[in-house]
Amino acid sequence: MHRTPRANLYLGLVCLVFAVAIAGLWVPFDTDSGLLETVRRRVSIGDALAPTIAAFFIGFGGLLLMVSDRNANDQPALSAVHLRFIVALVALLVVVFSVMRWTGPLAVALVGPEEPYRILRDTAPWKWLGFAAGGVLLVTGLIAAIERRMSLRAVLIGLGVVLALIAVFDLPFDDLLLPPNGDV
Amino acid sequence: MKKLLLAAALSLSAFAANAADWTPPGPIKLMIAFAAGGGADTQARLIAEELEARMGWQFIPEQVTGKGGLNLAAAIKDMPNDGSVIGMVVTESLGYNMRAADAGMTPEQFTPIVTTAGFQMAVVSLSSKGWNSFADVVEAAKGGADLRFGTMSPKLSDLAYLLGEANGVDFNIVQVRGGRAVMDGVNAGDMDLGFMAGIQAKGVAAGDLVNLASALSEPLQQTPDAPTMADLGVEFVADGYFMFIGPAGMPEDARAALSDAIAAVAEDESTKAGGIIKKAFGGASVIKGADLDALVASDYEAAGALLKAASE
Amino acid sequence: MGVLDYIWLGVLAVFQGPEIGLLGLALPVTPVMILGGFLLGIMVGATPGLAGPMAMAISLPILISTFGFNPDALLPVFGFLIGVMKGATVGGAVPAVLFNTPGTPDAFMTTLDGYPMTQRGQAKKALRVAHFSSASGDTFSDLVLIICAPFLAVLVEAYLDLPEKTALLILSLAFIASVIGGSVGKGLIATGLGLLAAYVGTGEDFYPRLSLGTEALAQGFPITTAVLGVLILGEVFKGLDDLWTERLTNQRYEGAAAHGDQTLSRGDLKRIFPFIGRSALIGTAIGALPGVGSTLAATLGYTVGRARHAKTRTDDTPAFGDGAMEGVAATEAANSSVSGANLIPVLSLGIPGNAAAVFLILAAESIGGFNPGPSVFKFSTDSVNPELVIAFGIFTAMFIANALNWTIGGVFMRSMGIMIRIPKHILLPSVLLLTLTAIYVQETRLSAIWFAIGFGVLGYVMRRLGISPLPFVIAFILGSNLEETARQAFAATGGDPFFLFSSLTASALMLLTLIVIVFSLRPKKEPTLT
Repeated sequence: MHRTPRANLYLGLVCLVFAVAIAGLWVPFDTDSGLLETVRRRVSIGDALAPTIAAFFIGFGGLLLMVSDRNANDQPALSAVHLRFIVALVALLVVVFSVMRWTGPLAVALVGPEEPYRILRDTAPWKWLGFAAGGVLLVTGLIAAIERRMSLRAVLIGLGVVLALIAVFDLPFDDLLLPPNGDV
Repeated sequence: MKKLLLAAALSLSAFAANAADWTPPGPIKLMIAFAAGGGADTQARLIAEELEARMGWQFIPEQVTGKGGLNLAAAIKDMPNDGSVIGMVVTESLGYNMRAADAGMTPEQFTPIVTTAGFQMAVVSLSSKGWNSFADVVEAAKGGADLRFGTMSPKLSDLAYLLGEANGVDFNIVQVRGGRAVMDGVNAGDMDLGFMAGIQAKGVAAGDLVNLASALSEPLQQTPDAPTMADLGVEFVADGYFMFIGPAGMPEDARAALSDAIAAVAEDESTKAGGIIKKAFGGASVIKGADLDALVASDYEAAGALLKAASE
Repeated sequence: MGVLDYIWLGVLAVFQGPEIGLLGLALPVTPVMILGGFLLGIMVGATPGLAGPMAMAISLPILISTFGFNPDALLPVFGFLIGVMKGATVGGAVPAVLFNTPGTPDAFMTTLDGYPMTQRGQAKKALRVAHFSSASGDTFSDLVLIICAPFLAVLVEAYLDLPEKTALLILSLAFIASVIGGSVGKGLIATGLGLLAAYVGTGEDFYPRLSLGTEALAQGFPITTAVLGVLILGEVFKGLDDLWTERLTNQRYEGAAAHGDQTLSRGDLKRIFPFIGRSALIGTAIGALPGVGSTLAATLGYTVGRARHAKTRTDDTPAFGDGAMEGVAATEAANSSVSGANLIPVLSLGIPGNAAAVFLILAAESIGGFNPGPSVFKFSTDSVNPELVIAFGIFTAMFIANALNWTIGGVFMRSMGIMIRIPKHILLPSVLLLTLTAIYVQETRLSAIWFAIGFGVLGYVMRRLGISPLPFVIAFILGSNLEETARQAFAATGGDPFFLFSSLTASALMLLTLIVIVFSLRPKKEPTLT
């Protein structure tokens, strides 16, 4: 039995709803001036006009998908597998960057000198701790996930990539900061 | 009385010693409110470079652009005030812009440190237009020409509007992003005249551009004969400076040490930073300490009157 | 200052720039950077899973940190990026010919005849054909660029006022939305999303619009996060997903033993030359239109070549698809001749047409001092226009890259078969960390990383749904420009609501916009490749 693909219909619908929400809610409530404004006794274009036009593009595109492309032959869709993957990946990235953000300050608080981490954010070796921990976690974690096993090789590759990045971005330049050292 | 003087002298010398002794607790984050690669950004980075060489301090420059310096102000407001975070804006940021935005920020939330250079703000047009002074512009407009007046900030747009109003003409005010864009627009013929804050110096010297009026309280250095805003019937001016700021409550020793060091570089024309300041603005304009506090406060106050005048 | 003086200054700017010590010799830095970029470009082009834009994205922050934010940095950085762009175009053919795996998307058509040649033992010869055709197409395209861009810019500056410039931007966006990706609906959605992202935090009011009251959004999305997120991270996420789902970790690639003469004879050249010529014209014409990429050029060049070949072929030569060297030539000449012509809209109008052009604009934006657009080509006579010197410096850099391509490109390219052995499941996580680090180093705040990851997810979803990410990126770049020009045009005309139709030129451009949209909305037959 041949089922009509629905991907374009759903995508179009989502875009249309999104566009209406932007133009009807987000833009009016989150801009200071309207579509047109009177400034210095002249009518001029307000801050709301451009985003409203962007919303119109999204909505019109959605409408086209729902109407003229509804029965197109090729309708790629997001499967549950894809969604699971991307959620898992983002979760991993959240963990990675939390580790990156807090490893340095934690290490300084536990075993470091008196100064807070902020003062040491450009002092070796403290400045590398967070980046190294998070970076190795990211690279090694992904390699291990794809290989479906943890290996020493994956850890070594993670370390190698981190060291290479430190060598490229940090050692030659005085005024560059590796993550997370601009935020601390 | 004697005791008091002694105490004052002591505290003064202690203060001076402190300023000389002060060193930043760590690397200094230098926020820059101007687009990378532009004249203002270059000035900030060159000052930092020179200070690294002179003082051994370390700077980490960072772009925080947008909203006429208000994005930088919002970002720096809650940072540590020990001198380890400073930012470069224009006086207009804490003056007109902060007043007009009305977003809960006031100049009291910041420590003004020092100014480096004052704008040579002028009304400029192509010399091929045939205008020699602002009176010629007014005449052309009265003769029926639709004139486009380029500006680069809301404050300047207000001034352009008031200039027109005071002279009985109506300009089409075209506001663009950055002084460079005004110059490009005037050069390309997209605008008939516009405000320029110093980048016109080379073009005026070469004879391509002409300073029609000074937008300052004083005559221009390059074209002293051009009328000032007051001559043209406008009681507001576009005087403005590049200014370094920090979060409120910065200790006096840190503030003094930073302002002295930055001023020394800006005033030294043999440094790269001092050199470009000389070229574009005719030399450094250093204002610091209580004078600067007073300037920032009065700018903020004056902005209210300008906003009111331009909305009438 | 005449035109020739400017050309000469541009050439001098390349050769007399800052110097770099190498092997005891003081060499001007720009040519060295061009060489470095070119070799790197061939390597990444030859590595499936990497591509030119990715290498450009990753090297940009390193380059900017090395050379600083000043006009002196422009030529070395542009030189490197141009080298990468050209190298990747050549390198993409290597795995396509040797292992039936395109190194870059536009080398797909190269596999059709290149791999059968390899199977017949003619791998080296196929690579030689690919290199010769690629270098020819590229050089031709650069010539067209150098002749056309200044004229177009001068015309634009002389005849287009603010309303016309607005109309031109609208036309470009409409064209990009309709043409890329096949479906107008999806193109419009991508364009709309790109515009929307560009409008967050920007605008003329002091309140940063659409920022939801947050400080992170008040500064808007940095251009690097949107461009690298959608173009690079989206692609990396998709690659990781494929590896994870399909459990592909190790694939073996086998070459084939060589048979017979591998050199290109005079007769061979005579046979492929007409195909190169036709494809170079097609590629250049397509490249000059913003948004129509090298993949379409390759397809079109191949299709036209095949039709021609079917008519003229003798029985003893292979047909297209069976390992005809004319097929390799037709494809490679077409996709390589896109890159030069693609810089015509970039340099003369500031409108990027493909991913490589996007990165050149990104470099110019990041460094400052060079604003691609018609004002670049202002031939001022009594004072030097530094941007024009840079423009001619860029042209010089392109010709140095071409010279390198003709001389050492072929040899280097033929040694790159080894790049396919780099396992993708190690490459992609490394590229991910590298890209995120590069973004952070430029923006120095973690919110930028979160934006980039968010745009990466968007890029991933768009790829899964068959929405091309390119209209998003181009709309993002042009978004502020479009709004500002429209605002200025509206103000300059004294608030005329019909300013887009205020002149004949503006009306004509708007009419063209309408034609583009209506034309692409018509139901069309899917082009078939069989």
